[in-house]
Amino acid sequence: MRIIYFYTFYFISSISPKKNVKRNLDFEPLSTTALILENRPANLPAKPEEEAQKHRQEYEEMVAQAKKRELKEAQKRRKQLEDRCKHEESIGNAALTWSQEILPNWQSMCSSKRVRDLWWQGLPPSVRGKVWSLAIGNELNITDELYNICLARAKEKWNAFVAPTAATETESEDAGLSHADREASLELIKLDISRTFPSLCIFQQGGPYHDVLHSILGAYTCYRPDVGYVQGMSFIAAVLILNMDTADAFIAFANLLNKPCQMAFYRVDHSLMLTYFAAFEVFFEENLPKLFAHFKNNSLSSDIYLIDWIFTLYSKSLPLDIACRVWDVFCRDGEEFLFRTALGILRLYEDILTHMDFIHIAQFLTRLPDYISAEEIFSSITNINMNSKNKKWAQVLQALQKGQDRGSPLLKH
Amino acid sequence: MSGGAELGFTEHLFKVLVIGDHKVGKTSFVKRYVKNQFYEELKTTIGVDFSMKVIDWDSHTRVRLQLWDIAGQERLRGLNRVFFKRSSGALVVYDMTNGSTLDGALNWKHELDSQVMLKNGRPIPAVLLANKCDETKVCRRNASLLEKLCQEKGFIGWFQTSAKENINVDEAAKFLVKHILQNNEESVKEEEQNMQINLKQQSKSNSTCC
Repeated sequence: MRIIYFYTFYFISSISPKKNVKRNLDFEPLSTTALILENRPANLPAKPEEEAQKHRQEYEEMVAQAKKRELKEAQKRRKQLEDRCKHEESIGNAALTWSQEILPNWQSMCSSKRVRDLWWQGLPPSVRGKVWSLAIGNELNITDELYNICLARAKEKWNAFVAPTAATETESEDAGLSHADREASLELIKLDISRTFPSLCIFQQGGPYHDVLHSILGAYTCYRPDVGYVQGMSFIAAVLILNMDTADAFIAFANLLNKPCQMAFYRVDHSLMLTYFAAFEVFFEENLPKLFAHFKNNSLSSDIYLIDWIFTLYSKSLPLDIACRVWDVFCRDGEEFLFRTALGILRLYEDILTHMDFIHIAQFLTRLPDYISAEEIFSSITNINMNSKNKKWAQVLQALQKGQDRGSPLLKH
Repeated sequence: MSGGAELGFTEHLFKVLVIGDHKVGKTSFVKRYVKNQFYEELKTTIGVDFSMKVIDWDSHTRVRLQLWDIAGQERLRGLNRVFFKRSSGALVVYDMTNGSTLDGALNWKHELDSQVMLKNGRPIPAVLLANKCDETKVCRRNASLLEKLCQEKGFIGWFQTSAKENINVDEAAKFLVKHILQNNEESVKEEEQNMQINLKQQSKSNSTCC
């Protein structure tokens, strides 16, 4: 504090015309900091030697500390560089292991401990799409041809939409979708594409993946007219497109949305969604009791943040590289991991969140920080225990579902 | 809803919904109002986007507005209904360049009234916003139509706004807050009256007792 005072004082005096500088310093001063050591201007009483000595000492200490800090930072930078090289090397090694060892023997190896451990560390980008495809599977038996048929039908509809006279024929074939609904769906896809990862500028009109994203979403509305297009889907399709070919992305997209949790959300099966939220809260309370109580006191229910996170599988809320790593393990562990990730995020920010009120928590969780360390978030997720009184996620969910059928009061909060 | 009154200073916390069909500019409106910024490209809202605006209403009143900007897709409407509860007011937005979104806005208003109401049973104050007015003009006929609609559907008023050009954004919000504050005062008064009536009744019954 005092140093700052001296600094300002002498800075002011140094710009006065009566400047009288005697440089008797034994080292080269850097910038204005050294002004501290200058003698006082002639119009002020001279600095006693004792005080001058003290200031010199303080200044030298400051310089020494700055040097120490610089050295430390240089060391840190070197360490970071080393780490990055090591990391890149390990990615390179991992990519080889995945492509030469694991992928050719997928069925026999995919559930081994070694592969699962390697999987947790994140899939190398070069094999990511392939592993996702294999892990998501193709229960629906969708072929490239089926995709092309759906796409052709979607294109017919777009044309019919542009020229409404031709619309009458296709209209009767739509299962339960009114003209207005379909119109809204087409318009909404167009709009949402422009609002999907806008900062990447690759899905927007004129961008390289604009047509691909449009095709996949359009084809899906023809493949599943009963589900149609729901906001959030564009983010999922976009992440898949970034990692695989168009037809594979469509196959993965349709199969992914067909999983129970995703179907519950995208068909807006309200009671099933509430069951998921309730199951989440069971694990929330057990893993983070303090934060759970804090949220409860602030009437902050889990749907406020989970809707966004689950609908887009974190691709909208987490930085893309971390979202992809969440997808990696989601492909390995299934829906349970989505909720485990949610708890990992809450755990990571527990200290900040416990000091926030309702609106700030809601804002924070629906707009997570731009910079999140992958290491930190994954170590936080590791610490989340997905066993509740010896029951696993699926068992808790099932018990709640049964309870709900019997009208358990647990869900009526 | 209102905070403690220290030295005659009151702080209020109000929850305000921002609702309307997709693409009408709800998020842009909120961003303009809260940050005084306009973004051409925004990410789709999934669920709810939260914002906070603090207004120093007058020398002894501060208002904290919690803005709940709710995803507009028809399909998700049922889902987002749960977010309506305990709100004090609403901004119902439609896009002037897209007539069907006005019907949408009326549906949203209907939904709102079926979900929330004031303590005295009246609808919560809602303002109709004809957004994107920079792209088109309200002719006189439309203006009288909107006036009529407001009366029929129970809006406290309407504004033509532009988040892009910053037209009527503050004014519309201020108008809503004014009504929310009035409602708040009235309900406080009503409560006081009720309490007095209760006291009188009590004292009466006491006196007959003795």
